[in-house]
Amino acid sequence: MLEFLQVGSRLLAAGEEAGHATDEHASEHSTSTTHAVEGDHKGDHGAHGLSFAGVGVYLAIVLALIFGWTVSMRKGLNGRYFTKWTTQWTEHMYVFIENMAVGIIGARGRRYMPFLVTLWLVIFFGNIVSLFFPSSVTGDLSFNLAMALIVVGYVQWEGIRQNGLFGHIAHFAGPKLPLVLAVLITPMIFVVELLSETMKNVSLSLRLYGNIDGGHKAVVAMNDLGKHIANIGGFDVNVPIGMFLMPIKLLTCIVQAMIFTLLFCVYVSMVTHDEHHGDDHGHDHGHGEPAHA
Amino acid sequence: MSQETQKSGGAPTIVLIVIGVVLMLGGANVSANPPAFLAFQKDLEAQGIPLDLGKTVAAIGVFLILFPVIKTFFLKPLQEAIDQRTQSLESTFADAENLRTEMAQMKSDYEKRITQTEEDARNQIQSQIKEAQDLRTQMVSEANARVEEMQRKAREEMESERNKVLAEVRLHVADLSLQATEKLLNENVDNDRNRRLIDEFIATAEVPGR
Repeated sequence: MLEFLQVGSRLLAAGEEAGHATDEHASEHSTSTTHAVEGDHKGDHGAHGLSFAGVGVYLAIVLALIFGWTVSMRKGLNGRYFTKWTTQWTEHMYVFIENMAVGIIGARGRRYMPFLVTLWLVIFFGNIVSLFFPSSVTGDLSFNLAMALIVVGYVQWEGIRQNGLFGHIAHFAGPKLPLVLAVLITPMIFVVELLSETMKNVSLSLRLYGNIDGGHKAVVAMNDLGKHIANIGGFDVNVPIGMFLMPIKLLTCIVQAMIFTLLFCVYVSMVTHDEHHGDDHGHDHGHGEPAHA
Repeated sequence: MSQETQKSGGAPTIVLIVIGVVLMLGGANVSANPPAFLAFQKDLEAQGIPLDLGKTVAAIGVFLILFPVIKTFFLKPLQEAIDQRTQSLESTFADAENLRTEMAQMKSDYEKRITQTEEDARNQIQSQIKEAQDLRTQMVSEANARVEEMQRKAREEMESERNKVLAEVRLHVADLSLQATEKLLNENVDNDRNRRLIDEFIATAEVPGR
């Protein structure tokens, strides 16, 4: 574990150096007040996130892990029974995502499997990387915002494809109301819906960023508590108390990947629900985001 | 499953990759040299929100490349393997079902054959019993006929013997009567006439019950 951390720190430092070389603003950030929050943790980037090169390095690690997993998984595909554990786990993951998509969206949910599986893999492996390295791509708000923009954009595209442009826009106007009420309420609903759609980007990206980056900060803070806890024979004894958070962080890795993909399914089902449930339901499903972790 | 997923369609892979590369390069450029309208990023960062839209744009580009790559190299072989295995299992289950149906059919045929065999055996036994009964009846009737024939022959022989004995007795009695009469009368009467008289006498003097 320590070796991983050290390697991660070195990689991150390399990424940071590269980022700082290309980013003249980075030097300004280094003197900012937020940087002071970092303390003496080289891997902890405080509030100013990873540099462009840092994200690139972590993304390369994530993609390498996905590539390695893919190679290992594909070796186990020959045969009637999947005996290789990576293949078995991948199948479990695939079936889980497929059941989730079909359960929420319906049979059409299978057509989103490439999108869902890609998101799942990147988020899951990104979160796993954050367990062993000082940060990860999913611990970067900008990267998470990219995923959120892709999700929301794809949902809008699906809504337009299913309902037509005007049908999709009308979807934001809420239920059909009598003329007087429609004049008064429909514009408000429309604005609220637009805001809601915009906020989906914020909620998706901030949720993942907060969980991963916050989890990392919690581990670092708890490790700080265990620093110099005793001095035996002139040697400082450091207790990595933050390690006790690892099981929870591991759970977070899976839960956050699941939530991200689950919300995509919910959003898609909301913009295409008329196909399945008819107009009787109208807009009873609501357009707000369900409460999640 | 695979076909359903393949229907997702969307832009051609090459277009996605090209757009992805352009976005990556553009994002890197924006991140390195943020335009003036992105100056709010500094304010956000000062407030603890580290946002770099250049990274965001580049990450979108990465995902545009990653989607077809994952679909081709990760999902497609997995789906094919799962589909193949599912088909194999379905085929196995279908074979098992066919075998079960075949076994049920064979069992039914076997039971029918057993029933038929039992029926045939029963019919054959009944037929044999009937044949035996007919044979017995025929043998009894033949035996009866033979007994009757033997009785008839015996009766005829007895009748013949009786008649023969009676004739002899009659003749003997007639001779005795003649001799007795001859002795009594000492007279040799016409033999033929006496004999006729004796015969008539004997005929009227036959033993009752014959």
